[in-house]
Amino acid sequence: MISHSRIRALLLQEWHLSKRSLEIIVDTAFFSVIDILVLGYVSMFLLGTSNGLAARYLIFGAIWWEVIRVTQYSMTMNSLWNIWARNLSNMFIAPLSLREYFIAICVSATMKSAVIAFGVLVPLAAWVFHFQLFSIGFAAVALTFINLILFSWAIGILLLGLIFRFGVRVQAIAWAFIFIFQPLTAVFYPVSVLPPMLQHIALAIPLTHIFEAGRYVLQYGQMPLERYLMATIFNIALFVFSLCVFRYLLRRAKDTGQFVRNES
Amino acid sequence: MNTKENVLEVKHLTKIYGTYKAVDDISFVVPKGSAIGLLGPNGAGKTTTIQVLLGVTLSNGGSISYFGMNFEKHRQACLQMINFASSFNSLQGRITVWENLIVYAGLYEIQNPDKRIKELAETFEVADLFSMRYWDISAGQKTRVNLVKAFINDPELILFDEPTASLDPDISDKLLSLIERLKKERNLSLLYTSHDMDEVARVCDDVIFLDHGKIVAHDTPLGLTKRIEHSRLTIVFEGSKQAVSDILSKHDLTFTFPKDYSVNIKLGESLIPKIIFNLSKEGIWITDITIHKPTLEDVFLSIARGSNDFSLTH
Repeated sequence: MISHSRIRALLLQEWHLSKRSLEIIVDTAFFSVIDILVLGYVSMFLLGTSNGLAARYLIFGAIWWEVIRVTQYSMTMNSLWNIWARNLSNMFIAPLSLREYFIAICVSATMKSAVIAFGVLVPLAAWVFHFQLFSIGFAAVALTFINLILFSWAIGILLLGLIFRFGVRVQAIAWAFIFIFQPLTAVFYPVSVLPPMLQHIALAIPLTHIFEAGRYVLQYGQMPLERYLMATIFNIALFVFSLCVFRYLLRRAKDTGQFVRNES
Repeated sequence: MNTKENVLEVKHLTKIYGTYKAVDDISFVVPKGSAIGLLGPNGAGKTTTIQVLLGVTLSNGGSISYFGMNFEKHRQACLQMINFASSFNSLQGRITVWENLIVYAGLYEIQNPDKRIKELAETFEVADLFSMRYWDISAGQKTRVNLVKAFINDPELILFDEPTASLDPDISDKLLSLIERLKKERNLSLLYTSHDMDEVARVCDDVIFLDHGKIVAHDTPLGLTKRIEHSRLTIVFEGSKQAVSDILSKHDLTFTFPKDYSVNIKLGESLIPKIIFNLSKEGIWITDITIHKPTLEDVFLSIARGSNDFSLTH
């Protein structure tokens, strides 16, 4: 049985932690704004060179990339803050279930990325660079957002499992690993730009299909529903896979004693 | 004892890391309202046992039941009724004491959390720390805040891992008094590890000694001290050191002379009058006698050092 009180408690902790940690504010909101400004000005430059489509791809990719980065970062860092504080095992000594824990960190990460994307980046892109994200239509925005969130949750859970299993010596993956997907999944350019071998790999990752679908809408104004559907199925499969791997890694971490050693 | 009367039942618990047996087939119960001390030298398996009992480390065998419920199957129900305090665990350092406690009140689904936290804060004298960040308060204050967390769900059983390690004697004494009071009034049960033997003797009804992951002794504190076969007698005397040495040697006793005018003798209590009589008879003028009865600390040292003084059986 899921306890709303426990989920609320974790969300409250995340709220207090976020408002009191300059690092969290810098790593999420500040870097996101800087990225949009830099890539926005690059796109303005490209617009001036008549490569208008590439310019729109760039700023489109930049906004959505921040959704992925902030969501995954928030999910993984929440646990790391508690590991560093030697508070994580205390929390799991309370009657907190893994399901409640995941719901809380997924919700808080999604709220953060939604606020940053739709409260800061989208208005900023519209105001400074006259880029209207919603020009692709509400349905495409919603489908893209849901899929990117699902993908980020899956990666976040996977990375969390690795940190629980191997300890803080692999903590750098919490903020670095996601960038592997940036070149590979053609965030800023069409997948056809990649060498043929990398294209095969790229197409096996749901993220690629989301960005390809988004660019298609940007270019032709039509939603490639099949591509969105395929990406959604891929993402759900990846999410389930991540949960299974996480369960295995957590079990191993508790078996080897690493789970409590992470805090020593 | 009936399962219903035990708040914790541990059967054949084993934890192996690679080839190292950290916990080796231990079984014990914590009856309702009892305080059980878990003692042993470093590496004996105390902390691993506590970690397994809390579910943050998995065992390789055996079973754990809280309140008659299998811990593996009813993890949440069990954890709702127990809690844990250690001077080695922390709360979230970046947020305030109050924010931390409110979070834990939520995790334990406490009704009227403000009232509960304020009541406990009075008891542990942490009310003035509410607005401070947890990482800004002293080690002793942190331990007291951790204790508020440990009592927040009004637990039936608390697992304590050296709870007084960083407390000053006053707060330490208050905690022990509170534990004694709650134990009496609410039938609170405890599993308690500490290196302070006086504290263990004061709080615990039974003591389990662990060594190399095994239970080597399980008895009341008094019962354990009685298993030490020798007392220590210190005699301050006026007279020849050689004469004293000769008399004691005749009785095959182990002794040392810390000073030329005093001797420490290890012997059974029944021999004490005889030794004093013999020394006096040989003209040794005894100016002071001190008898050191075995304490829990002696038991601890005997087990830790593998001394023959301690009898593993009654």
